[in-house]
Amino acid sequence: MAGASHPGAMAPPIPGPTRTAPPRKPASWPSHPRMRVYTLFGLTGIVYLVLGFLCLRIVWALGQGEAAWDTTMASMSNPFYIAFHWVSLLSVIFVGVRFFRLFPKAQPARIGPLKPPPRSLILVMLYCVWIGVTALFVAILMGGLFR
Amino acid sequence: MKHLLLRLEPLIWLMFGQGILIGTILLTGWLIVFGVALPFGWVGFEDGQALDYSRAYGLASNFVGQAVLLALIALPLWKGAHHLRHLSLDHGGADYDPVVALSLYAIAAGGSIAALLAVIRL
Repeated sequence: MAGASHPGAMAPPIPGPTRTAPPRKPASWPSHPRMRVYTLFGLTGIVYLVLGFLCLRIVWALGQGEAAWDTTMASMSNPFYIAFHWVSLLSVIFVGVRFFRLFPKAQPARIGPLKPPPRSLILVMLYCVWIGVTALFVAILMGGLFR
Repeated sequence: MKHLLLRLEPLIWLMFGQGILIGTILLTGWLIVFGVALPFGWVGFEDGQALDYSRAYGLASNFVGQAVLLALIALPLWKGAHHLRHLSLDHGGADYDPVVALSLYAIAAGGSIAALLAVIRL
């Protein structure tokens, strides 16, 4: 069971002019299904952190020369890497779906005279960019483009 | 330390937000190729194949390739670091937050510097 929430965890050193209520932890924390999904979303941080360093390893090998590149590429067939990459792919899709659903709701109602497009349109645009960039990335890396 | 972290919060939030948005968009294709297609033999790295050294180096060593690779490495590190810090806060780790935050951001910063060096030497 998690400990009590800390009211001053993110408080500024000098209190602002606006009075705010102290944060309260929901009674269902952390066993409620929505809280579990929220925690799972946070845990994807581990995957992203490790994945960043794995990408760094691949790019570093590219800078070291052909022998290092070939060795690194061959190591991608290691079962450990395959399993981690599958977990990573599921994590990235989970983060994308959850974040893109949140993104339209987080837009300001108005910026000066401009209003944002409808939420559904923003969501469709985000998915189009995600799918389009992924398809482009895969096409380039698999030799379909710039060959 | 807490004061410094609060001053850096907008910058860290920027990197975190871009880590989720740009990191997720770029990582999906990367994982499909290096995590699925390569081990299953749908793409190869021998001479003349799509991921052979000379082609991969040619794709990565120009300005666009370097910028994409830098974003691909550095932004997910900041997403991971900031998300894990807040997970720690949410689960009662506020008393240890300065140490946790500093450690995680140091890992992300170190990885980002290494990423910059990695793309510069291409």
